[in-house]
Amino acid sequence: MQIAASQPLRRKPKRNRTEFWMLLPSIVVLAAISIFPFFFMIYASFMDYSLDMDRPRFAGFRNWTETLADPVFWQSWGRTLVYAGGGLIAQLALGCAVALLLYHIPRFRNLFSTLFMLPLFVAPIVTGLLWRFLLDPTYGLYHWVLNTFGLDIQVLGDPSYAMFAVILMDVWEWTPLITIIVLAGLQTVPEEPLEAADVDGANAWQKIRYILLPMVRRMIVVALLVRSMDILRYVDTIVITTEGGPADATKTIGYYLMQVAFRFQDIGAAAAVGLTMLLASILMGHFFIKVLKSEEA
Amino acid sequence: MQVKRATLHAVLYVLMAMSLLWALVPILHMILSSMKTQVGMFEMPPRLIFTPTFDVYGEMFLGRGDFPQFLRNSLVVSIVTTALCLLLGVMGGFGLARGNFKREKDISFWVISTRMAPIPAVILPLYLIFSKLNLIGTTAGLVLAYTTFNLPFALWMMSTFFKDVPADLEEAAMIDGCSKFRAFWRVVVPAAAPGIVATAVLCLMFAWNDYLFASIFTGRGSQTVPIAASLLVSQSGIKWGQAMATGTVIIMPMLICGLLVRKYMVRGLSMGAVK
Amino acid sequence: MVLVMASVLVLSACSSGRNDAGSGTDSGSSANAANVNGNNSGGSGQSGNTGNAGNAGNAGNAGNADGSDPFGGWVEGLPKIEAPEGFDWKQFEGITLNVITENTPPSSGLAANIEVFEQATGIKVNIEQVNLDIVVEKAGLDFNARNNNYHIIYADPYQILSKQARHFVDLNTLNDDPALPSIPGGLEDFIQSQLLVGGYMGDKEHLYALPYDNPTMVLAYRKDVFEKYKDLFMQEKGYDWTPGPDMTWDQYYEVALWINEKAKAGVISEVKYGTGHQAKQHDSLMNDFSNVLAAYGGDYFEAENLGDIGTENPGKSLLTSPEAIEAAEFYNKLLQIAAPGSTTWDWNGLAEAFAAGEIAMAPEWHEFAGMFENPELSKVAGKVGWTILPKGPKGRGNMYGGTSIGINKYAKDDEIKAAWLFLIWATAPQTQYMILDVGFTPTRHSVYQLPYIQKAMNDPESQEAKEWPLASSLIAAQEAWKEENVYMRPKIPMWPQIDTIIYTELSKMLAGRQSPADTMKEIAKQSDRLTGN
Repeated sequence: MQIAASQPLRRKPKRNRTEFWMLLPSIVVLAAISIFPFFFMIYASFMDYSLDMDRPRFAGFRNWTETLADPVFWQSWGRTLVYAGGGLIAQLALGCAVALLLYHIPRFRNLFSTLFMLPLFVAPIVTGLLWRFLLDPTYGLYHWVLNTFGLDIQVLGDPSYAMFAVILMDVWEWTPLITIIVLAGLQTVPEEPLEAADVDGANAWQKIRYILLPMVRRMIVVALLVRSMDILRYVDTIVITTEGGPADATKTIGYYLMQVAFRFQDIGAAAAVGLTMLLASILMGHFFIKVLKSEEA
Repeated sequence: MQVKRATLHAVLYVLMAMSLLWALVPILHMILSSMKTQVGMFEMPPRLIFTPTFDVYGEMFLGRGDFPQFLRNSLVVSIVTTALCLLLGVMGGFGLARGNFKREKDISFWVISTRMAPIPAVILPLYLIFSKLNLIGTTAGLVLAYTTFNLPFALWMMSTFFKDVPADLEEAAMIDGCSKFRAFWRVVVPAAAPGIVATAVLCLMFAWNDYLFASIFTGRGSQTVPIAASLLVSQSGIKWGQAMATGTVIIMPMLICGLLVRKYMVRGLSMGAVK
Repeated sequence: MVLVMASVLVLSACSSGRNDAGSGTDSGSSANAANVNGNNSGGSGQSGNTGNAGNAGNAGNAGNADGSDPFGGWVEGLPKIEAPEGFDWKQFEGITLNVITENTPPSSGLAANIEVFEQATGIKVNIEQVNLDIVVEKAGLDFNARNNNYHIIYADPYQILSKQARHFVDLNTLNDDPALPSIPGGLEDFIQSQLLVGGYMGDKEHLYALPYDNPTMVLAYRKDVFEKYKDLFMQEKGYDWTPGPDMTWDQYYEVALWINEKAKAGVISEVKYGTGHQAKQHDSLMNDFSNVLAAYGGDYFEAENLGDIGTENPGKSLLTSPEAIEAAEFYNKLLQIAAPGSTTWDWNGLAEAFAAGEIAMAPEWHEFAGMFENPELSKVAGKVGWTILPKGPKGRGNMYGGTSIGINKYAKDDEIKAAWLFLIWATAPQTQYMILDVGFTPTRHSVYQLPYIQKAMNDPESQEAKEWPLASSLIAAQEAWKEENVYMRPKIPMWPQIDTIIYTELSKMLAGRQSPADTMKEIAKQSDRLTGN
């Protein structure tokens, strides 16, 4: 650090302006499309409003009381905890592990990382079809494999296994996302600390634990945040494979919302459910950021 | 020492192979199945050696269906969205990272929160907005929607990356006489290349994969590949051959793209500038 | 805001706009084969266009000079499409119509042959096919905004017509209009029960839509298995086990159990399981169960006209009646011995298992005959027999799943008339005859009277039957449409919620989570709370 400490202070006002103009277009675009829906959700949650009605009627807290009194609502949240919790932990662990692996591999890194990325690009809809294809009792490859090992289970038709299966699908498809983000972070880690560590005689494990991981903590949080938002919302795979069943075993809150919004077309109730999901995402976000902040020191 | 190195590398490759196996077996199965008849692809254990038939592909591309158009729409929408997201996101991310705004944390959080709203809950207001702008059924509408959904992500990713790029870089360039903006483009951006590429890849992927929004907001001429996939599940049977072929086709552009783009993710590009 | 508008304008200027012409309706022409082809993979193109042509032998010429048969393709024996004196079929030239429909065989067939209509009238038609959930949502949004984005809408009786009938044009005004063509063959030519459920809602005053397709649940079974082991079964159980109108559900159970045992013992090798069902937590489960419910004399609600014209309020739930509980108990018992994959399968999964040769009997939608007879998709081609579902103590039920198409009321006046022309063409006997090869069953009596069809249906060995695989299941379907055999589910505005309750609770029952009696009570409780009864 050879720059004098006094200069940044003098520059501050000017600095702000360039950055401000660089940020402005994004803010405008975001605000335009996201503000109205947000307020609409709040408005709709207090109205008795379904798509086939001519005008919505004021309903006070009825949507809220009905939703909060619905046991399926709470059960769906419970299942979402399992789905999201299990999924995120698995993805994170696997994703970081593979990222580190890719980082250390001497050759063919490009090839391997591109190949590993492929599940990401199989659109969730096709992923759902693919896994249905793999797990169907009549012709599924994985079903056949399980059978050969003596496990005669109907993965998608058995409440005890269906949840595990959908978590697996999510992990399979989205782990590469975590890998990409973390790997990119690893690749921006400057050489100096690593070289210094080499000089000090540190081995690979120590380098990972004390230098690499801490420096990509920020990226890990970004990956976690993005995935945690999406894992609540993405239900394409569940729709194609189990439709929330069997016996509601895979009905997460995202699926529940789809049902209320699209099948029942109850805009008011959907808004209420949507707001709870938004709240949950915000809380999770705050939590992850707090974790990030505590590392920043 | 050499032996230790070699074994270490061997272990790494084995682990890599296992990871790839985990990721790729379904995809391989999909690709192989796309070249078999339906009766053939249902056979267990699956045959690895067989005479491939490309009927399904022929039908998809040369037949009466609209698949080429679906593919084209998907490509156009994804690429344009990514370009827009990068343009706005890279600049905005930098602004956010360096701006020293008083309420930066709050702005950051608001930005990312715009992506948290579950779509089914806001489909109606979005439909109304897009309807008023006459964007229902157009690819422009899709691009606008995807850009808006992906921009928060791009902003966040880029601002986080930029925070990791030391401020010395642009300071040094500015001392040499560049304006802040120029310093940004010529020095900081290359330094964050890995991050930019990662963001681009992911924006591309999110736009490419979306089904929910596309299904409601596209019309006949603007439908995308995920919709094509959903149509394969009909009331009188699932067209597995086409499903597998669709899956194979949609990963192809990304495969090619990925292999090309990876060349530009060079580690340590930045460090030369400061030293 | 300015920036947003600017970027939007730029983008709309350089992107493909709405209703992009180009592909879809241009590739190739439909007027190739003059015969009905046997390929029934349900339409092979991605957007639902068929791989084969249709029966449109005369699609090249747009009809005769004297104005009769404006579309060509008329066949002796069918009512003609006629128009009033001096009617100009091209008067709506230049209008573009948007159709939203589910990706079903008739939609594919029509899309494949749309040039016939477009050439004769000069009207451009965009047929958008999407999944049913999306059709429902888009139709809902369109009506809600009073848009006229879609002019012609697939009016699913239970999810769209029951709630949104008032947004459809009353077709009687168009049909009775002396200046416009009327329905060839008249409303009487439609199969009446289908017209009732698909065309009306709440009353018979207003006709909202015309029947368009009519899949029905019947029983598919493996002829070869039942032939081969007939004597063995006769020896052990004492009766002829061949599935037919006299079979009862109890016998069905016994047969299925016997096949399971024999297959396990290695005596029967052609199948693994006696019966298979579409018992996934899905609409299919409700369909499958309803057949049994009806056979035991049960029903969902107490209101009149529940299944045909439909009603706003269904009254109290009838599922706590002893008949319903008996039905649930039987169904539960039956599923215990069914192919274990049953809880994984909707109608597609079940069909695939049956086509792979795993199952001896399955209650399935008759349109799957096309798939079963296609050697590329099925191992059991030529071995499948069809009959109506077994009877129970109080009767019989064969679930009906047909739909109709109607016109959006908020379209402009000339668009409505143009749409009427499309409706006439799409449901015309000659058109239905033309698209038979896509695995479609006509909704018109007159088509069934044609000698070709009669031959195909009655003589399984004939050339006609071979060309038209759906013929084999059609006899069973026709039998199933008789009033004493058909079952129509409740047509009420809150059906989506009720349907979800029904199949979710049934799924719990099948998973062993609750007893049949409790399941019925639970459904009744939730239904009543929902309907306010």
